[in-house]
Amino acid sequence: MSHPHPKSERVIDARGLEPPEPFVLTMDALDRLPRGEKLLLQLYREPFPLYKALANNGFRHEAEHLPDGTVEVLIWHAETS
Amino acid sequence: MQAVLSFDQAPPFAAPFRFFLTAPLFPLLAGLLLLIEGPPALASRWTPAMLALTHLIAVGFMLQAMLGAMIQILPVVAGANLPRPLLVARALHLLLVTGALALAAGFLGLFASAFPLAAVLLGTGVGGFALIAAFSLRGIPATSASIRSFRLALVGLCGLLVLGIMLAGGLSGLWRVPLIDLTRVHVNWALAGWGLALLSAVAYVVVPMFQITPAYPARFTRAFGPALLIAVLLASLAPLAADDVAELLQMPVIVLAAIFCGTTLWLQARSKRARPDATQKFWRLAMLAGLAAALLWAVARIVPPLAAWDGWPLLFGILVLVGGFMSVIIGMLYKIIPFLIWLHLQNRGKGRVIAPNMKAVLAESRMLRHLRLHLGACALLLAAVVWPAGLAHLAGLALMVASGYLFTNLLAAARLYRQHAARVDAVLAEAVHAVAKEGA
Repeated sequence: MSHPHPKSERVIDARGLEPPEPFVLTMDALDRLPRGEKLLLQLYREPFPLYKALANNGFRHEAEHLPDGTVEVLIWHAETS
Repeated sequence: MQAVLSFDQAPPFAAPFRFFLTAPLFPLLAGLLLLIEGPPALASRWTPAMLALTHLIAVGFMLQAMLGAMIQILPVVAGANLPRPLLVARALHLLLVTGALALAAGFLGLFASAFPLAAVLLGTGVGGFALIAAFSLRGIPATSASIRSFRLALVGLCGLLVLGIMLAGGLSGLWRVPLIDLTRVHVNWALAGWGLALLSAVAYVVVPMFQITPAYPARFTRAFGPALLIAVLLASLAPLAADDVAELLQMPVIVLAAIFCGTTLWLQARSKRARPDATQKFWRLAMLAGLAAALLWAVARIVPPLAAWDGWPLLFGILVLVGGFMSVIIGMLYKIIPFLIWLHLQNRGKGRVIAPNMKAVLAESRMLRHLRLHLGACALLLAAVVWPAGLAHLAGLALMVASGYLFTNLLAAARLYRQHAARVDAVLAEAVHAVAKEGA
């Protein structure tokens, strides 16, 4: 799942994966995400349901739309300590 | 495993699913009507039975499934949350189901106040929903073509509804309207202004996502929605024009529909999936039927005897409604329902009980069997227009069988959901009990 990326070392490239695979991979990765580290999710759409779940579970996120249609969502624990 | 994250189940599974479950009962009724009425129903598009049949499919199946899907899709695709989704769904569902039945009763002349009743029920339900949906989209930035297209589709929904209410009032003698001309405009708003606009909004997301295709070209998604609305407005002017100009005014809608179908087929041909699944096959059938309908329209313009034949609008209608919209909606139900069941069960299990595999929710073999039944029903309906005396009853029966089979498939999925949910609740209750015991 991971290849080097300037935003984060932990990258899930879910472009071209069929639901629910991106969801499952993201859940698994967040379960293991150490505080202070970030996870980068790449998709071809904005994952609105995920945003809600992230807020409910103490995560923060930042989304960026790239020119090629990719949406990059950077996720980290709201409390870093 | 997903122990950490819990999902907010908005909207609850019961909100969209009630629409999906009752939708197949309407083409089942339409098939029954054709079975009973037989050949006279197919004499022209204007027979009472044919008008009832058309609306059982268009309102009872198509509109019902589309609005149910919108309740699910608006929060997921646009981040637009409907207020009190379960309450909205219950009220809309009740009004839509009773309204569709009243409308069919009106065409069949079953009771005098059927048309006004249908207008009130559908006007309240569909109009109310359009307002709520527009309200939920208020302030949402149009970050994707789908969000822009949802807004345009809502304009189409309002257009078709207003025209439908005008027609219902005209048919029940409440006021005088040019029925035939207004019907042509109503059909444009219903099938293109609403149907195709919503289909495109959804397709931009679900075709690449579930069929692993490239995205629709940005130029296409930017231009298609506004162009379609302009085309529908142009077609609405057709009754005011001379016959040859009227045909020119109708042409942009047909051309845009053909472009949409062609683009979707082109994307499907670039799918990364090794073998197309049932959803893809239903989509392909729908797009081919759409292209065939556009071709038929074009040929009827060039060959006057075909245009003069009462049967060609029926062939066109069957291709668009049964071959096109019904196929694509069935294809999407077969993808969305297993996904929703998986999602809700996964969430309910809180990481302790794993949801069944999506593929186990509804077996592919059952979907493919339905595809064959549906294809058979389409073919028989088309053939029955050409040879009503021999095939009308059989075509009605085939539509009943295909729709009934869809209903049993959805029922089986609902049963699996209920059984698994009960098992999840039992396991979790046991776990809580064990913890409480330990604490004591």
